[in-house]
Amino acid sequence: MADNISLLAVFPDLEPAADAIEQLRALGLTDNHMNVISGIPVTEAMLGRPSQWTNVPRLAAGGAVLGFLGAVFLTVVVPYLYPYPIQVGPQAFVPGPPTVVILFEITMLGMLLSTFLGVFLDSYFPNYRPMEYVKEVSDGKIAVFFICPEESKEKFTKAMTALGAEKVEVAEVEHL
Amino acid sequence: MAEYNKKAENDHTKAELHNHGEEYFREKHLMLDPLPRGQMNEMVMESMHTTSWKFWAVFAVLSAIVAYGLVYTWAKMIMEGLGIAGVNRPAYWGVFLVNTVFWIGISHAGTFISAILRVFKAEFRRPFTRAAELMTTFGLVQAGFSIFMHLGRVWLFYWLMPYPNERMLWPNMHSPLTWDLLAITTYLLSSTMYLFLPLIPDLAMARDRSTGWRKTFYKTLALGFRGTEGEWTHLRNAMNIFAFAIIPVMFSVHTIVSWDFAAATRPGWNSTIFGPYFVVGALHSGMGAVIMVLAVVRGTMKNMKYFIRPEHFEAIGKLMLIISMTWAYFFFNDYMVQWYGGDKWTHQLLHFHEAGPLGWMWFAMLIFNVAIPWAVLWNRRWRSTPWIAFIVGLLINVGMWFERYIIIPVSLSINRMPFTWRLYEPGVEIPLGIGTLAFFILLYMAASRLIPLVPVWEVQEGQMAHALKKYGRETVVTVSELE
Repeated sequence: MADNISLLAVFPDLEPAADAIEQLRALGLTDNHMNVISGIPVTEAMLGRPSQWTNVPRLAAGGAVLGFLGAVFLTVVVPYLYPYPIQVGPQAFVPGPPTVVILFEITMLGMLLSTFLGVFLDSYFPNYRPMEYVKEVSDGKIAVFFICPEESKEKFTKAMTALGAEKVEVAEVEHL
Repeated sequence: MAEYNKKAENDHTKAELHNHGEEYFREKHLMLDPLPRGQMNEMVMESMHTTSWKFWAVFAVLSAIVAYGLVYTWAKMIMEGLGIAGVNRPAYWGVFLVNTVFWIGISHAGTFISAILRVFKAEFRRPFTRAAELMTTFGLVQAGFSIFMHLGRVWLFYWLMPYPNERMLWPNMHSPLTWDLLAITTYLLSSTMYLFLPLIPDLAMARDRSTGWRKTFYKTLALGFRGTEGEWTHLRNAMNIFAFAIIPVMFSVHTIVSWDFAAATRPGWNSTIFGPYFVVGALHSGMGAVIMVLAVVRGTMKNMKYFIRPEHFEAIGKLMLIISMTWAYFFFNDYMVQWYGGDKWTHQLLHFHEAGPLGWMWFAMLIFNVAIPWAVLWNRRWRSTPWIAFIVGLLINVGMWFERYIIIPVSLSINRMPFTWRLYEPGVEIPLGIGTLAFFILLYMAASRLIPLVPVWEVQEGQMAHALKKYGRETVVTVSELE
């Protein structure tokens, strides 16, 4: 691993970036050795990359379950916590329709909060450490980061340049 | 022969009409008029950084109004008590609740535009989703203020929080008061998160182009976003979940607000269609507010004429027309059933609405909410003209405020006990209401200088998806599904 080097190639568009990924595979790199960053949500299919794993839907479902249980506690369990029953008007001890309202609101709150937190957890946000980045990405360029053997640097640089890379250089970590 | 020539000429003109060149489409549709991403970024950044003396003059005036209307008057009311407000027997609910309902209504626009139009893939939404989402969050802040004013002893608001007090008594979670608290809190939190998630890539863009305190500000809020495949995947998934889940939350908020009235047995309130009637009313005022904001943003902020075009006013205008018709349907439905019911007190109330001292407000409500939108918005040219759309939006909002005023204090002024009848007259509610309006505009103005109002990445994504295609002799716009 000590002989490996991290390079970045910046492409003006999707097509050459997708070709570059194919070429990197042909040169012996696996998808684990590559990472793509872009200024718009480029799908995996567009670049011919494997699907990304995300826990966000699972976390959302988990949050919904927690929210529902919290609502059940507040609406169904709490009235029984008192040593004597507190009857409100002619309503049942645990009245159905108002309970549905609370169950819905807290379930949705739990789901949406956990969805939001899920993005933070899965993306490791907030992250203010120095990272590999090129500012051109937010101008619409596509940057392909890849790790290759140091002795093959020239070969990879030439291959990327031939496919239309605007620049190929050693990827430096920097404060964003 | 002359007749033949004339016919041929007509046919030629028709053919030309259907055979627009690329230039025509570029001028008309933002999605077909792409600029390099870097240039669009610069345009948005420039619009945030360019402030004239007029901006600061308006900012100063609004700050003064907020200082007097919101801060001083509210402090005075806290010191002296709710007695200085106009609420009294029999109308204990006054302008504070009118404003609460009004601001929650305004807040519906953001979700409607951003979530519903996103779910249905309405492409025209792209450049102004954020402008609408900001209205949701800032509108809910004003709704929160208004309901806190109504509380009177505002410092005890935490009594509603779901935890037991020192005597181990819990708030009654089955009470409509807690429905309101939960619904508004859920909606405020959800809409703020829904505003923030698609903002992250634009904050990263602003971070890359800023220096000094702005750099620190954007860097902190961008959370270290780089645009990796993983980050986009998580973001896209979360935004899809939000777009679907926030719609029922939006509907629930105003439905629950309507139940505050409909669950009572009062004449004029006890109606089974109050839920959808309120939701449609909220959308009506919300869309009116969005079109006003867009007209102001387009007219006053640099480079916004590129992003916000007549096509957007045209599309929103059509939605407003449909919503106006739906509101009229619900209004008539509600009116008809109550009128036909034949209850003496309900008849008395309906007569009081139309012919009482505030009858002018009832007629103005119908003119502003129905007659004017129908008379203006059917015409494509008129609804595409920003200043006309602004005026219609303004009138709709005035009309919807009147509607809430009629439903709440006017309806409470008379009841089944004639000896208590008394017309509600607002007191400090007026400066406090103006204060919330000024604060809303102030927050929006501040945000327009700190937050990219146009989601540039969404615009670019939309531009990538659009193309022109020829079918025979006609050129048409096509959209690809990129997700």
